[in-house]
Amino acid sequence: MDITDLISSDAIIPTLRAPSKKQALQELARKAGELTGIEAREIFDVLLERERLGTTGVGHGIAIPHGKLAKLDRLYGVFARMEHPIDFDSIDDEPVDLLFLLLAPESAGADHLKALARVSRLLRDRTVCTKLRGCESRDAIYALFTDTTASHAA
Amino acid sequence: MEAGTLVILIGSVLVLASILTSLLSSRIGAPLLLTFLGLGMLAGEAGPGGIRFDDAPLAILIGNCALVIILFDGGLRMDKATLRAAWAPALALSTLGVLVTAGVVAAAVHWALGKDWQSALLLGAIVAATDAAAVFVLAGRSGITLRDRLRATLEMESGSNDPMGIFLTIACVGLIGHEHQTPGWGLVVDFVWQMGLGGAVGLAGGAALVGLVNRMEMSAGLYPILAVAAALFTFSGTQLLGASGWLAVYLMGMVVGNRRVRAGRLVGRFFDGMAWLSQIVLFLMLGLLVAPQQLLDEWPTAVAVAGALILLARPAAVALCLSPFGFSWREQAFAAWVGLRGAVPIFLALFPLLAGIDNARSYFNIAFVVVIVSLAIQGWSLPWMARWLGVALSPRPEEADKVDLDAMRNLDRDLIAYTVKPHSRATDFAFAKLALPPRVQILTVLREGTVLKLDELDRLHAGDFVLVLVPPELSLVADRFFSRRFRSTAGQLRREQGDFVVDGATAIDGLAKIYEFPVRPDQHGLTVAAVLAKRLGPAAGRGDRVRFGGVELIVVDMIGAEIKHIGIALDGPPPSRLQTLGRWLGRFRRPARPGR
Repeated sequence: MDITDLISSDAIIPTLRAPSKKQALQELARKAGELTGIEAREIFDVLLERERLGTTGVGHGIAIPHGKLAKLDRLYGVFARMEHPIDFDSIDDEPVDLLFLLLAPESAGADHLKALARVSRLLRDRTVCTKLRGCESRDAIYALFTDTTASHAA
Repeated sequence: MEAGTLVILIGSVLVLASILTSLLSSRIGAPLLLTFLGLGMLAGEAGPGGIRFDDAPLAILIGNCALVIILFDGGLRMDKATLRAAWAPALALSTLGVLVTAGVVAAAVHWALGKDWQSALLLGAIVAATDAAAVFVLAGRSGITLRDRLRATLEMESGSNDPMGIFLTIACVGLIGHEHQTPGWGLVVDFVWQMGLGGAVGLAGGAALVGLVNRMEMSAGLYPILAVAAALFTFSGTQLLGASGWLAVYLMGMVVGNRRVRAGRLVGRFFDGMAWLSQIVLFLMLGLLVAPQQLLDEWPTAVAVAGALILLARPAAVALCLSPFGFSWREQAFAAWVGLRGAVPIFLALFPLLAGIDNARSYFNIAFVVVIVSLAIQGWSLPWMARWLGVALSPRPEEADKVDLDAMRNLDRDLIAYTVKPHSRATDFAFAKLALPPRVQILTVLREGTVLKLDELDRLHAGDFVLVLVPPELSLVADRFFSRRFRSTAGQLRREQGDFVVDGATAIDGLAKIYEFPVRPDQHGLTVAAVLAKRLGPAAGRGDRVRFGGVELIVVDMIGAEIKHIGIALDGPPPSRLQTLGRWLGRFRRPARPGR
């Protein structure tokens, strides 16, 4: 599975402004709502429900919020780069500046887990993260995803 | 000058040199015990020291005393958690495992080198027991963290297989001594008697020592001496009864280590030092005893034995003993590699010498070379091997900075002095809201040398010195209040910790919904920690993984027996370097796919 199968160029927010975790998640949900046609509120609730189980801030400034929605027809990804890092209640208490949202339909099964694993593996790569942090534009970020898709294929 | 003074001078110089080289060896990563052995050889007849020491009976006497101390100390450190997690696999390794190791080595020696069965078996028995040296290497020095159950198993095995190795060796020496005898039921009966009685005496002796120490009022410095004397007494008494004194002493240490004993910490610290001294003396002595020029005569045989031991016998024994307990192949491969040989094989090789068996000297020389090969190759490569096989876990959260004060008489609580760490629970919560467990009580807080009034204290600061009364069973929980919290030590999650981490108190149903795994009817409404604890049983430990549908849940963090944090791995355990290498090599064979 490729990152570019999950995310389109218009699902990338190159500089997101939000003061808190809650508002950042709301912005991501809004963007996902635009893409999927589902109520942003509903998406936000799903994300919040997942965060209640335990933070998706996995450390080193990265968060991978995710959840499942019955009405979806396929997997959707949204990527955001924060203008200013925010407190995300992360595992290492460090502020977060790279967020990758992944939404899956109710019965995505193995595809959902595989996609999540793919995102997680990509963002573990320190050089990829450094490059993402240096990208100013949507196109540059998308190009990077296309690029890593080729080199990370396993 | 008196001769006695000279002996004291030489002895003390050797011990001093050993201690100083230990600093050096930890810096270059050389196996410590190998440097002691080398130092002994340097001081010996062929080295610049030129000391001639050739007294096998005296060596056995000194060796026995040293082993008693080492085994008692090993038992003393064996806490309940380790015992609970590892007794079954460790027992398999130290009985069946030793037999298989000895048998495979003997077979290899018999077929490949054409030695007769009896001497082949003796050789196998001599090199069959692993050494507590493995524990030395694993316990901190190398900085490797292993899955709890694997570490516990290796730790316990290294101590408990010595009695078995000794039994086998002495049995083989006996067989060679009496040519007409054939091994049969007599040997089995003897085994049951030795281990049965040895075990019983050890347990009873431990209980007696605990009772004695707790009842007698004496100068604190005498308690450790009492323990040493009691251990030596139990050892010799059991041996005279024809049972295994080594087993008795090991179990005795275990009983004492797990009961509340007055001056328990003092005894523990004393034995820590004594065990060091025993290791140093044992290795120095064995280094002195060997004639290096003779080692060269035996090297082809010795290298063949070492090869058979390391590459065939140990892996076979480990595979046989550990597969039934659900250890992965990587863990088994690592356990096979940790089969370090130490002083015991060389010491055991003295027994044929004492019994006056033909060619007895050659056993000694072979055992010596095998130990050197094992320590040098396996000992040195251990940390590297752990990473290569992917069994090394990320280091534990930083330990609490504490001083255990010895329990007072008639008090069922320990007095512990903590220095509060930054990012600890104690600094993150207001003092009034700290919610210490019941019966854990803060007595005094010292900040920069001043005693603070507890009712005026708003919040503890990093660096505060806190005196706490803690029931012994809650000491691990109390530690967590004053040491760094898991979250602030985690950094980015490492691959072996999974992709996400949740608290153990999370409901399993919530996770099951998101990660799409089935929940059994009897598990509904339980926490993840409870479900995992059920699945893993009392042996649950850090690093254990259980598959649920498409994900694996991993025990990432525990307090005592309670599972605190759980990792969720989305795509199985991280590949070992071996698999990565295979995948990398595979690239060259794979035809280029179109469209890439």
